[in-house]
Amino acid sequence: MKLKLTLIVALTITAITTISWESYWRSQGYEPNLNDNKEIWATQRARVDKATTDDILTIGSSRIYFDIQLDEWQRTTGVKPIQLASQGTTPLPIFRDIVENTNFSGTIIVGVTPGLFFSTTYPEAFIWKRGIVKNNYFHKRTYAQKLNFYLGLPLEENLVFMSGDEEKLEDDVDLKSILRRCRFGNRTGKKDFLYYNFGDLSRDRNMKMTKRTTSDTSFANKIKANWKAILTSGDIPPPDKKSTMEYFLKDAKVFTERGGNLILLRCPSSGFMRGGEAKFLPRQDFWEDLVQQSNLPAYHFEDYEQFKNLNCPEWSHLSAEDATFFTAELAKIMLKDGVITNHKTN
Amino acid sequence: MLFNSLSFVLFLVIVLALYYSKIFNWTGKKRMLLLSSYVFYGMWNPPLVILLWISTIVDWTAGKRLAVEDNQKKRKIWLLLSMFVNLGFLAFFKYGDFLLENFVVVMNSIGIDFKARPMDIILPMGISFYTFQTMSYTIDMYKRKIEPARTFLDFALYVTFFPQLVAGPIVRAKDLITQFYEEKKATTNQFIWGLFLLTIGLFQKVVMADTLLADTSDAVFGSSKLLHGIDAWIGTIAFSGQIFFDFAGYSTCAIGIALILGIILPDNFRYPYASLGFSDLWKRWHISLSSWLKDYLYIPLGGNRHGITRMYVALMLTMLLGGLWHGAAWTFMVWGGLHGTYLILERLQRRYLPFKITKWNGIFLAFITFSCVNITWVFFRAREFKTAWNMIKSMFYMQTDGEKILSSFDILKVSVVIAILFLCHWVMRNTSMKEVSLKTSPYVLGLVWAIMTFLIIIAQGSGEQFIYFQF
Repeated sequence: MKLKLTLIVALTITAITTISWESYWRSQGYEPNLNDNKEIWATQRARVDKATTDDILTIGSSRIYFDIQLDEWQRTTGVKPIQLASQGTTPLPIFRDIVENTNFSGTIIVGVTPGLFFSTTYPEAFIWKRGIVKNNYFHKRTYAQKLNFYLGLPLEENLVFMSGDEEKLEDDVDLKSILRRCRFGNRTGKKDFLYYNFGDLSRDRNMKMTKRTTSDTSFANKIKANWKAILTSGDIPPPDKKSTMEYFLKDAKVFTERGGNLILLRCPSSGFMRGGEAKFLPRQDFWEDLVQQSNLPAYHFEDYEQFKNLNCPEWSHLSAEDATFFTAELAKIMLKDGVITNHKTN
Repeated sequence: MLFNSLSFVLFLVIVLALYYSKIFNWTGKKRMLLLSSYVFYGMWNPPLVILLWISTIVDWTAGKRLAVEDNQKKRKIWLLLSMFVNLGFLAFFKYGDFLLENFVVVMNSIGIDFKARPMDIILPMGISFYTFQTMSYTIDMYKRKIEPARTFLDFALYVTFFPQLVAGPIVRAKDLITQFYEEKKATTNQFIWGLFLLTIGLFQKVVMADTLLADTSDAVFGSSKLLHGIDAWIGTIAFSGQIFFDFAGYSTCAIGIALILGIILPDNFRYPYASLGFSDLWKRWHISLSSWLKDYLYIPLGGNRHGITRMYVALMLTMLLGGLWHGAAWTFMVWGGLHGTYLILERLQRRYLPFKITKWNGIFLAFITFSCVNITWVFFRAREFKTAWNMIKSMFYMQTDGEKILSSFDILKVSVVIAILFLCHWVMRNTSMKEVSLKTSPYVLGLVWAIMTFLIIIAQGSGEQFIYFQF
């Protein structure tokens, strides 16, 4: 048995195929990117347990995730927020976990994306379960999982083929995603919603829209087409304003009573998305009612001249450049209003 | 710690560096392996290492006493103590909630309004494996079948040896402890073959089980709808493949890692899906558990020494308890009961309708066996009877308007993978990987190895836990 020769052959072919694989994806315009998964979320969630009253958390869905740029916020206010927002997720279970399982009494900015915030409190709903999965992972993660995460970071940051996202995105390059893209016929009769990656993530969970989304119109159009397909699919259940508001207001009361500072934020949307939101979740009936009942400081992009006409390249999130502008301006407004404190040393 | 994780890669590299360095003598190396094994286990949940220590100390003490004690009554007490502690752990940690639930049901059924809050006890990883392994030591000591372990270190390492600690193979003391008595060092061929086995195991787990089959099986068994017959069958065979690749993958990794250290572990799977009947299946599937059940349950229950009826009862009880070993739920008992029934029917067939197995009817018989095994997997995988019953109804077209939830590609993918799996098992059933590799050119073997490694790399895997950890 010539096992040494076998091993040499195996190592050589593996090296050649792996380098070729990486080169191929780079030649297709891919760049290494961190996976937006529960592990990276949990590392930020862990920071909340040690956070002080000076700290700021952001929770919500993808809009506040893309639109608040952490470094810019720090430049303006002196504090870098802990980003706990999560794509396609209602913030309600995450907020409850913070209220019930931490003593945090600093500032929480809640991103209100009407379609998600007012959707449901049904624990089995997709957008609810996603938050629960993250919470559970954080509370139960093992030392081995923590170590795996840190060992994986340099690989994800340097190798394109390591970008297999748990979000099951259409342009992931792991084997399972590639196989998922093999489709023929439509046996189930259901429409496939195709989600693409349009954000670059950093270790502190700062999400920034990719350059490709702003410069490649056909790519942005693919994302728009997906939003449109979701909104017009008829699969979206009607909003459950009553139970979502009750759920949130209960936690908001506990949090503010223990000295926490809670702020509501409605980030920009545009085009078909904004039209759909105005039609099905009118501001007066949803946002204004929430603001009135919660009696919390609240910021709606339509109320500020500088934000009114910001354009979202794919209708729902700001480009990196606009997000930086939005963050800086918003922080200044909040500082001026006195709802947050300036911690800048100079 | 999972074999399919980066932390394990780092762990193994450190262990191997220390093992093959000249820093330690053999005793030092064994101490290092023992400490590494506790780290391996503790990286999941450190406090639960205490259970391992208790099991180790109790069984070491019991074994030592059994070696010198001649008084039969006292010997029995030492054996019972060992069984009480090990089975007590299992009863409390694994079956606590199940027993409580059933107690509540019984109370309510006799008109006593009794409510109990679930205990929500954490299930220590691999508890069923290491408790069975240590019990085999004390039982063998009681029966005077083996010599006591020479040192506490040898025994502790036998209980805790990290490659097979959490999901087997369940190794007997005579096969493992004796290997610790003299310095072990893998030959170059053993080392490379161990790496090859580790790659095959990871390939089975990461590529075959997690990437190709898990989603389909999860979608079908996670569905609350009544499914179309094709979806139910595809989901079932997907699980059939998933559990084989997952568990055989773990065993292959364990055997490979041990071999890299120069330690030989027994085979746990021998191409079970090409079994010719159910007795054959249990000589090929989870061999270390089925032989444990045979030696420590079936034979003590009478085996075939007290007539046919008693043998059937022993067989059925063994399989029912074997089912319960896998999980604290009635669905696992049904799984065991079905296998018990199959084994009894097979013995009846052999007695009253004997026929000769030829190469012509063999593959047909293997396919029938495989199909019957698939039906049992429905009860194994379904979380509740309602799901299992819905699946069975769908599989046998007892309801016609089932929902189609799988795509055509999923159906094709699973069908191809399972067909290849079945045919590979058929071709390999009378040979072994080692024999085949001896006849294969090193270039071809190297290419196969590289393809598997490449697929593991591009599959990446999300570090999914092995299914058998929960048992």
